[in-house]
Amino acid sequence: MLEIKNLHASVEGEDEQILKGVNLTINKGEIHAIMGPNGSGKSTLAKVVSGHPEYEITEGEILFEGEDITELDADERAHLGMFLAFQYPIEVPGITNRTLLRESYNTIARENDREELDPLEFDDYLKERLEVIDMKDSFLERSINTGFSGGEKKKNEVFQMAVLNPKLAFMDETDSGLDIDALKVVSDGINKIAGPENAIVLITHYQRLLNYITPDFVHVMMNGKIVKSAGKELAHELEDQGYEKLEKEFSLNGEAQ
Amino acid sequence: MSTAVQEKETILNFLDGDFSSISDVDVIAGLNQKGAGNISEFPFPTKKDEDWRFTDLRSISRNHFVPVAEAGADPTGDISNHYLPEAQESRLVFVNGEFDAERSSLDSIPDNVTVGTLVEHGDSEVVKEHLGKYTTYDEDQDVFNALNDANFKNGVFIHVPKETKVEAPIHILNIFTDAEKPFYATPRVLFVGEAYSKSTVVEEHIGLAENEYLNIPVAEFKMKEGSNIHHARIQRDSKKANHISRPIAHLDKYAEYHSYTICLGAKLFRNDPRVVQNDEEVNFTIDGLVLIDGEQIADTHSAIDHRHWHAQSHQLHKVVVNDKAHSIFNGKIFVREDSQKIDSFQENRNLLLSADGTVHTKPQLEIFSDDVLCSHGATIGHLNEDEVFYLHSRGLTKKKARELLVYAFTLESIENMEVESVHKLLLDEVIKFTSRDEEFVAVGS
Repeated sequence: MLEIKNLHASVEGEDEQILKGVNLTINKGEIHAIMGPNGSGKSTLAKVVSGHPEYEITEGEILFEGEDITELDADERAHLGMFLAFQYPIEVPGITNRTLLRESYNTIARENDREELDPLEFDDYLKERLEVIDMKDSFLERSINTGFSGGEKKKNEVFQMAVLNPKLAFMDETDSGLDIDALKVVSDGINKIAGPENAIVLITHYQRLLNYITPDFVHVMMNGKIVKSAGKELAHELEDQGYEKLEKEFSLNGEAQ
Repeated sequence: MSTAVQEKETILNFLDGDFSSISDVDVIAGLNQKGAGNISEFPFPTKKDEDWRFTDLRSISRNHFVPVAEAGADPTGDISNHYLPEAQESRLVFVNGEFDAERSSLDSIPDNVTVGTLVEHGDSEVVKEHLGKYTTYDEDQDVFNALNDANFKNGVFIHVPKETKVEAPIHILNIFTDAEKPFYATPRVLFVGEAYSKSTVVEEHIGLAENEYLNIPVAEFKMKEGSNIHHARIQRDSKKANHISRPIAHLDKYAEYHSYTICLGAKLFRNDPRVVQNDEEVNFTIDGLVLIDGEQIADTHSAIDHRHWHAQSHQLHKVVVNDKAHSIFNGKIFVREDSQKIDSFQENRNLLLSADGTVHTKPQLEIFSDDVLCSHGATIGHLNEDEVFYLHSRGLTKKKARELLVYAFTLESIENMEVESVHKLLLDEVIKFTSRDEEFVAVGS
């Protein structure tokens, strides 16, 4: 579904590379976890894949279902079925969740020659999807993330994903800052959405989320590269040993050039 | 060679007009005479005047304006698309300053309520008692108010009796047509709300063509004890017009005056709303929404005068600026000595969509009392790039994302519109304003 090949990227207009040759293949039906210390480039990877204009791809390519999407705008990537759950969801006062989601859903439907939903049909659909994150109807009337608690903002990202039903979702630290109840709701929601036809990439600093969502693959990212990939047991290893051991191993391998 | 005494520039230097001709209606004639004396005396403002620092009036002074009757104005065609469905039988139409009885309809106005023209009601004791009594612009030597006084021969008169509610909104529709020459017009309104009356007035100014003219309306609102009004003002003059308006409200005890001014048209818009508190426990609003682009200038110089105890005032002035447009806001709030328990809110929020737009904003609070809550603030910003990206990543085009964000910015102002069709009209105007192809400037937070 997604193939990232030797991806290099920097902040637009700056020389310093943040991604230094990422390689990653994701197939449908898979859940991946990308872990790594702060500043390793995990969030940048998510933003670059979703088309954030702040970053420039200097080398390599991103293929989505075989198509090179490197030059596509963020909305075009969304139309193809890609989704980014933001680490810090943006507050947009004055626009309700319902307004955004209907605009979003129908735009994506239109771009894919699927039928758009009228307001009544869409309302029924929204109510059904609200169950995924255990939220009340009144949630739809609130301005996007405005005045939301940290947990509500993260739930809203999962809710948007539940409504838009993307093929591939990058979830950027969706677990950070969640109390235990919110973490359960959020991970339950993600588990309900995950299926054989889609793929999910969880970007996380901690093993915590992975107690509730079982990944098929765990990758460790350091210094702009994926340095190790393995099964779910890698997460436990990292939890026990921290990143220091890997960091040492990694620099001994001659990376400090 | 230069002349030793430089002649003072007055508005008469670029206006034609025979200000010795006065109305047949005594009460109007009195103001005509007073105004005629003042316009030859009052100086024409320049950028050296503090209140006109940012607004260049040379677009007026370098032009020449004739009375509208001599301008060779086009006859009016069908203007029914500007009628409000809620006001089909409560509408007064003025075309180029002249009352148009045929296009007006007042069938739904209750018998005890007076809605009509100043000429028709020139003998009314109410008109005689109130007309011209609230414009306090003489002390400022305001030449525009003087010109309205000197020139107006008719206008709107509304009188709502005690404990009466006028259900239908009263629509005052000022239409301006294309003309051979630039002209000036001086619409006039007198509203008197008796005790505990309630009404809604929609005052609209529409230019049907892209011609130059000078529109100088004066409106007086006398709100007696406990009376209540919702006053929507919509300025959609020609994009080449100059609109200089002086609305003033005087509030007696328990009175409520809520006005919402929307500025969409005119090359130069100058609005000096004033609200004067005459007694205790009043509540009022003078909100504004300005959407300007091209080289439009919109200048609001408001004055709120708290003279007694207990008042709540609200002023939210929202501005969206595109291209090289220029917005000016100067919000004076006076709290006089011994007027305690005043709760006054003022905020001016500006959204700049281009790199070339200009905003000047200045709250001006003069408080001579101590038990007062006056909050005021001013912000100027571009669209937030993070917000744009968030919506963009959800599949919305950048254009749509920006449209939604501008729409959201204006919504708070528009939602206050009580009349459904006005609400809808403004939403359409916002969409028209934002759905252009050029990119708006956005910056990261």
